[in-house]
Amino acid sequence: MNYQTVGHGLVKIDVMEKVTGTAPYVDDLVMPGMLIGKVLRSPYPHAAIKRIKIEKAQALNGVKAVITNQDTPRVKWNSAGFPPSQGAILVEDQYILTDRARFVGDGVAAVAAVDEKTAQLALDLIEIEYEKLPHVLGQDKAMEPEAPIIHEGVEKNIVGHLPIVIGDVEQGFKEADFIFIDKYTCQRVNQVSIEPCGAVVALYDANGRLNLWTSTQMPHLVRRIVARAMDMPVGKVRLIKPHVGGGFGSRLGAVNEPIAAMLSKATGKPVKLIYSREESFVGSESRHPIIMELKTGVKKDGTFTARQMTAYIDAGAYATHTPSFAGPVGGWFLAMYKSPNVKYDGYSIYTNTPPCGAFRGYGNPQVVWAVESQVDEIAERLGLDPREIRLRNHPCKGEVWAWSGWEIESCGLEEAIERGSQSIGWENRIRQGSNTKENSNQGQETVHKVGPETKKKGIGMAYMMHVSGARPMLHETGSAFIKMNEDGSVNVVYSSSDCGQGSSTALSQIAAEELGLPINMVHITQFADTDTAPFDIGSHASRQIYSGGNAVKVAAGIVKKQVLEHAATMLEVSASDLAIENGQIICLQDETKTKSVAEVAYNALYGTNGFEISGVASLEPPGNPPVYAAQFVEVEVDTETGIVKVIKVAAAHDVGTAINPVCVEGQIEGAVQQGLGYALTEEMVFDEMGRLQNPNLTDYKILTVKDMPEIDSIVVQAASQTGPFGAKSVGESGLVPTAAAVGNAIYDALGIRIKDLPITPEKVLGLLKAKS
Amino acid sequence: MNKDISLVVNGEARYINVPADKTLLDMIREDLNLKGTKKGCDAGDCGACTVLLDAEPVNSCLVLAVEAANKEVTTIEGLAKGGELHPIQAAFIKHGAVQCGFCTPGMVLAAKAILDKNPNPSVEEIKEGIAGNFCRCTGYKKIVDAVLASGRNIQG
Repeated sequence: MNYQTVGHGLVKIDVMEKVTGTAPYVDDLVMPGMLIGKVLRSPYPHAAIKRIKIEKAQALNGVKAVITNQDTPRVKWNSAGFPPSQGAILVEDQYILTDRARFVGDGVAAVAAVDEKTAQLALDLIEIEYEKLPHVLGQDKAMEPEAPIIHEGVEKNIVGHLPIVIGDVEQGFKEADFIFIDKYTCQRVNQVSIEPCGAVVALYDANGRLNLWTSTQMPHLVRRIVARAMDMPVGKVRLIKPHVGGGFGSRLGAVNEPIAAMLSKATGKPVKLIYSREESFVGSESRHPIIMELKTGVKKDGTFTARQMTAYIDAGAYATHTPSFAGPVGGWFLAMYKSPNVKYDGYSIYTNTPPCGAFRGYGNPQVVWAVESQVDEIAERLGLDPREIRLRNHPCKGEVWAWSGWEIESCGLEEAIERGSQSIGWENRIRQGSNTKENSNQGQETVHKVGPETKKKGIGMAYMMHVSGARPMLHETGSAFIKMNEDGSVNVVYSSSDCGQGSSTALSQIAAEELGLPINMVHITQFADTDTAPFDIGSHASRQIYSGGNAVKVAAGIVKKQVLEHAATMLEVSASDLAIENGQIICLQDETKTKSVAEVAYNALYGTNGFEISGVASLEPPGNPPVYAAQFVEVEVDTETGIVKVIKVAAAHDVGTAINPVCVEGQIEGAVQQGLGYALTEEMVFDEMGRLQNPNLTDYKILTVKDMPEIDSIVVQAASQTGPFGAKSVGESGLVPTAAAVGNAIYDALGIRIKDLPITPEKVLGLLKAKS
Repeated sequence: MNKDISLVVNGEARYINVPADKTLLDMIREDLNLKGTKKGCDAGDCGACTVLLDAEPVNSCLVLAVEAANKEVTTIEGLAKGGELHPIQAAFIKHGAVQCGFCTPGMVLAAKAILDKNPNPSVEEIKEGIAGNFCRCTGYKKIVDAVLASGRNIQG
């Protein structure tokens, strides 16, 4: 299809502000009388607070409030950003400030003072008597019978068990020619948005309303969570979202809004609470470490007879997302490959570490790491090209996708694999013969590639599927309100949760296309305000374009109908004979009969029986079409140092119609940076006392520009049937298969398979040594 | 203890009374009220607070405000002249090099420092010049493209 606006790499709507430094983020806001908030955190992984003395802190000049657990509302709450839904299992197990520290960094008190220095001094004056309690780290250890209990009444610290059974796996294993049993693990990683997570200004105003300016991905749901934590009606909370300096899941729920709200309520002043980089590591939620036990039965021809996974998920010290998160983890697993028999058990386990929550991909990177590594092994054992086993077994268009239970609308995996293969030079890999059945047992002899003797090259691939929304796990109500101004331009009022990915731009393109307006006549709200923007569940599950786009398109359709009907009255023709092109009303029968949209809008507003042309759509999206990707990675491994150098990533993604191809590429390229960090360099490291050893960007290694390989982002467009103009999604998927593809490339280079992320030089050298 | 300093900020002479332990970053954001310079770590790791100090890129969180006395500071607000974007800013827009925008001011200034010294840098020189500026959104590809293209633009 040829579109006027959709499919064009238009300049994003917010970039002028951003390149000139005028775009306001939360920390840039200044208000009269504004105080600075600070949080006191537990130095112990598990400790009861016996006594807490705040008098000295209160007495310090410039201190306006000191609050502890005793001041918090007597309600327990859950910080995760879920709409109440069948798939939302919300265990309420925390107070705004705790009376029992459950991890190093747990918030135990907070202060508001006239400036940051005074606030910091006040924290030092709070005296706390702790009773240290035994603690436990690691989800496997936390399940042992003798492990200390972190929350009363939660046996073995298992806060959730989610089973899924399809068919009979035992029967399936009996029918298998081969059975593969493996254990894969992965580390905890942090989203590391460059604007540290945890940025809010709270004002509990004289009218008793709580106003929040916060860096969030989900304005309406965070408003709801804060209302619950503060034990106040939702309507009394107003949330405004300025620009957000990166989200990636870290702002998928309440972060520190309730603490700031309490401090403002206590002082009657606006309170700014900005987490430092260190606090954003421990005071917000990171990616779940998961121990994944896989058992897979296959026939000689590469079809699956049974697939089983048991996942032990480290929740950290509070439940937040985790018991619900166990659902998608199972969903990703069971939906990847067709098998008549599938069994999944997901255990959510408390440990004395910071809570885990949402991070781009929401469990899929972990699952794909395990499954795609094992499938690589299976392909080798069966003598199949790794691409072939994926193409034979993935669910395709017309089949039911087990994640949602709905029919798949479109599938671009075959094209993705073909174009990705070409880009990476897969045929050369096969010619070099490291992966065919005939030579798979020849060991290191087969993996010598071009280059110096100590450096080995290899190529690997992995595939993934992902969502375009959250249905049917979650209710996914989204809304848009569009009104037309007298100059013919429109305001798209949307609960924007654009965190930089470009969704506001793409949604503007959808509105412009539907309305027949040039893009510069579409003005979308950039700062969501829950008092004025209609309800939407936010920026997650890669849902902005499919779900938000459907709401915007429907609302635009209503506006368009009104424009045409009013133009028809003005021109004395039938509305069905009219169309809008580039802001102009065109009569298909009589080209002399024309008006600009501006004339029509003006006449509607100021003519007889005046009205504003406007439309609102509030709906759940019609489906959830999955996206596909195949990523191909070439590595060079130094066998003397164990250092893995990634030479190239060819990332081929089926996103449906790309509303804005430049934004789509940007999403893929940025995600690959995070995926490579996940594979190779990023890890939150705790000592035996549960203290995070690297809460800074010197010791926590995200990739710099010098670490980045060549990235070829390949956009495949298998249009969906129900998405706006055929769109599906792109946001999260770019990092989902990366780690597995890297691991498979390392296997291709060296014949060693590392089963725990990240793949550090130490692990590479260890396995190389063991092999020789 | 406070000190009186004079300096030139984006071409304008300024006289400021600052605490001796205040960073240049905090002075820029709080005293000069120039909010375009961002605080991403306050530890010299991320580069979001990059400004030019006598044309050299510095992490302004690692420089004391008093060290800027009698020097010239350029922040992101000082780049566009008379409503015209600097070619680097224009190139960032054209090449889709901006996502969340939090690293952008520092990144643009780091790029300016590269191009001021060498209007036609190689890809490797560009990477070296912005290696201290973290971006978590873009994978850096479009940023490098933008700097490369603006080098050619500036050259004419």
